Amino acid sequence: MTAGTALFAVSCRPKATEARTLQKQQQLNQFLAEVERRALRIAEIGVRDRDEALDLVQDAMIKLARNYAGRGSEEWTPLFYRILQNGVRDWHRRQAVRNRVMVWFGKAKQDDNDYDVIAAAPDPAGRTPDEEIQNSEAMQGLEVAVHELPARQREAFMLRMFEGLDVAGTAIAMGCSEGSVKTHYSRAVHALREKLGEHWHE
Amino acid sequence: MNESDKQFEKAAKRHFDQSVDGLDAATLSRLNQRRHAALEAAQAPSRQWQSWMPATGVAAAALIAVVVFQSPSPDGLIEAPATDFEILLSEESIDMLEELEFYSWLDTQELEPGADVG
Repeated sequence: MTAGTALFAVSCRPKATEARTLQKQQQLNQFLAEVERRALRIAEIGVRDRDEALDLVQDAMIKLARNYAGRGSEEWTPLFYRILQNGVRDWHRRQAVRNRVMVWFGKAKQDDNDYDVIAAAPDPAGRTPDEEIQNSEAMQGLEVAVHELPARQREAFMLRMFEGLDVAGTAIAMGCSEGSVKTHYSRAVHALREKLGEHWHE
Repeated sequence: MNESDKQFEKAAKRHFDQSVDGLDAATLSRLNQRRHAALEAAQAPSRQWQSWMPATGVAAAALIAVVVFQSPSPDGLIEAPATDFEILLSEESIDMLEELEFYSWLDTQELEPGADVG
């Protein structure tokens, strides 16, 4: 290799790195754009507040981009949901502590009662009013029932059913074994069916 | 998993997907903004001082706990200054200030058991 060729190779290296970084950024942006709407709804069912859910999704995006952008894109989905689920769990812990402190000052927050599921229901998208009401009521019932599940069952159900992760991906996202995922999921389905009744989806 | 479980799963998935598709434009716009902000924030260098925030939070919580738990009762915290304030503003207190000389004298009499106060 001549000195000129070597110099050319060295001068090209930063540009190649820059191009790779840019490409990774674009891939990450595309991945997040694909996943963000489902992630928002999943977080919203978990915390029952859209603004809080938006904050949690944004935090998960930042952490994924900061810590795992270099990983293979096939790993992003379970990693993203693992971060998001951790965020939801932390949110519940913070709420519990906050409520305990507020009790001391006589201002316990009554968040569950303040939440209006109908007001928070999404806008219609080209469906007839009857369909919209039926869907909205069915989803409202499902949302409340899912929210009332124990945390691990809720996570397993939402990741498997709503996000469509397989058992292995759900296990990574939940940080547990595949066997535990199957158990939590099966219990969640039975609990939901019992709660919603046989005729819920008809 | 039986057939009716599978039907339930299908219906749950359908309702969820419809709720995702039905997200309003304002929410979608906010999501878009959050994504761009997240990607920008992830590229910015992390700030060292933020790593101290959890420790500061714990210290503040411990201080609040000490203040709350060392008080005789939660009401006492509020009652004591209110009582002082009432005493200061009450009519009797103004009378007392006017007759301060008399009360000083009375106080010295009580300190001397043999003294004639009547």
